Amino acid sequence: MKLLKCSYSALLISIAASSAFAETAVIVSADNPNASIDKNLVSKIFLGKTKSFPDGSQALPIDQDEGSDVRQDFNSKILGKSDSQLKSYWSRLIFTGKGTPPTQSGNDATVKSLIANNPNLIGYIDSATVDSSVKVVHKF
Amino acid sequence: MQTKKIWAPSLLALAIASPAMASDLNINGFLSVGASMLDKDDASIAGADNQGGFKNDTILGLQISKQVNDKTTVTGQLVSRGSDDYSTEAAWAFVTYAANDDLDLRMGRLRVPAFYYSDFLEVGYTYNSIRPAEEVYRIPFSSIDGVDLAQRFSSGDIDGTVQIYYGRYQGDFESNGTVYDADFRNVTGISVSANMGNFGSRLSYNQGELNLGSPAPAGTDLAVVQGTANFLASGDLNAAKDFNISGQTSSFIEAALTYDDGTYSVLAEWTAFDHETSVLLDDQAWMVSAAMRMGEFTPHVRYSTQKDEFDSGVEGDIQKQLRLEADESSITLGLRYDYDSSTALKFEIQNNDEKTIEGADGDSAILYSVAVDLVF
Repeated sequence: MKLLKCSYSALLISIAASSAFAETAVIVSADNPNASIDKNLVSKIFLGKTKSFPDGSQALPIDQDEGSDVRQDFNSKILGKSDSQLKSYWSRLIFTGKGTPPTQSGNDATVKSLIANNPNLIGYIDSATVDSSVKVVHKF
Repeated sequence: MQTKKIWAPSLLALAIASPAMASDLNINGFLSVGASMLDKDDASIAGADNQGGFKNDTILGLQISKQVNDKTTVTGQLVSRGSDDYSTEAAWAFVTYAANDDLDLRMGRLRVPAFYYSDFLEVGYTYNSIRPAEEVYRIPFSSIDGVDLAQRFSSGDIDGTVQIYYGRYQGDFESNGTVYDADFRNVTGISVSANMGNFGSRLSYNQGELNLGSPAPAGTDLAVVQGTANFLASGDLNAAKDFNISGQTSSFIEAALTYDDGTYSVLAEWTAFDHETSVLLDDQAWMVSAAMRMGEFTPHVRYSTQKDEFDSGVEGDIQKQLRLEADESSITLGLRYDYDSSTALKFEIQNNDEKTIEGADGDSAILYSVAVDLVF
C-alpha cells in the first residue's frame, strides 16, 4: 500500500506539472525535410533575420493571432520580447521597407492546417494539438 | 468606360484570390500628435515657444508597399509634418531588388543612414522619447535620391548589416531660420551595424558636396556672414575663399552603442561634423539615454550636448570675430506609457542650457511636452 500511495502522489505531481506548464511545439509540415531546429534559429526566422531552413529551402514564419496565450508564451520564451517591444522592433523594419512581420494566421487549428499544406511554413501550436500532418522541430 | 466596368470585378476577384503571403499590398501608418510649451518667452527649443502648441511634434505617415515579383518590392512613404505646415512629401519612394536572401539593392528616394535613429526617425512609437535629441540629430535634410546596397551578415551570435549609399539632395536647406535652395551632390557613405545578444553597435561615415542653387540672397544670414568674412579676411584671398559654401565637402561620422536586456536599455551616440567651408563650424555632439521598462511604464532619462569648434589659423580668427559658435546641452526626463501594443503616451520635461549661443552667453529654458504615438 505504501508503494501505491507513493506512485499515486507522483502521478498527481506529474499531472499538475503538465497542466501548469503546457508545452508549445514549433512545427513544420510533415513533408518538410528538416528534422530539428534550435531555439536560436527559430528566433532568427521569426525576427526576419534568416529566411531559410537549415537545408536551404525558404522559411516563411506565421504567427498566431495577437492575444493568444501560445503566442505570448512563444514571444517571451523564444523571442524574449513583450508585445510592445516586438511591435517596436517590427515598426523599425516596416517603415524602412526592410521587413514585414509574420502574418497573423489564426489559432492552433488554422496554423496547423496551413502548415500541413505548405512545406515552407513554420509556426507554433499547443503541443497537445499536434498530429501526424505536421512535424515538431522544437519544443519548449 | 465599358472596359473599366468589365475589368473592375475581375481585378477585385484577382485581389481576393491572390495568396495571403508575400504578394499582397501592405499598408502601414504612423501618427504622432504632440503638444509642447516652453517656460521662457525669449527662447526656442524644438520649434516650441511659451504659447504652447500642437504643431511641431505632429506627424502623419502612410506607407504602401507591394511585392511585384519574387525579387522586387516597391515602397512609398508619404509624410506630413506639422513643423512644415502639414505639406506632404515622399520621405521614401524606392524599388528594392533582393539579389539574394542577404543582399538588397534599393533605388529611389532613401533615408540617409547617418544616425542610429535615421531609418525610423519619424516613427515616434519605436523609441521612448518624444523626439530624438536635437543637439545630436542636426543634419538639415534626411532623404536623398540615389541608390543603396544593404548586405546582412550573420555569424554565430553576431548579426548585422553593412549599408553603402550614393545620391543627391535637392531641396530646402534651413540655417538660422532662413531657407536656402540647396543642391548637395555626391552624398555618399557607409554604415555598419552589429548586434550580439543584448548589445548592439553602429558606425557610420557620410560625406557630401555642398552647393547652393544660387548665391545666398542679400540680407540673409549667410550673405551677411560671407560679406563680413570677406571684409575681415582683408585681402587674404585664400581665407576669403574658405568662407564660400558651394563646392566644399562636409563629412559626418557617427558611433553608437546600445544595450537592451528587456528591462534596462541604454543608448550612447557620438557624432562629429567636419566642414571644409568655414561658414559652418565643425562640431561634436553626443548623447546618452537610459530607460527602465516596468510593465507598461518606461521612465527614461537623457543627456545630450553639442559644442562648436573653430578652424585653425586665419579662418578660425575670423570665425571668432563672426561670433558663430554655440555650446549647449540638455537633460530630459520622460515617461512612456504603453496604452496597448500599438499606442504609446509620452510625457517629458527637458531642461535646455545654452552656455553659448552666437558667441554670447546663453540662457536656460524648460520645455514641457506630451505626445501620443501610434502605429497602424
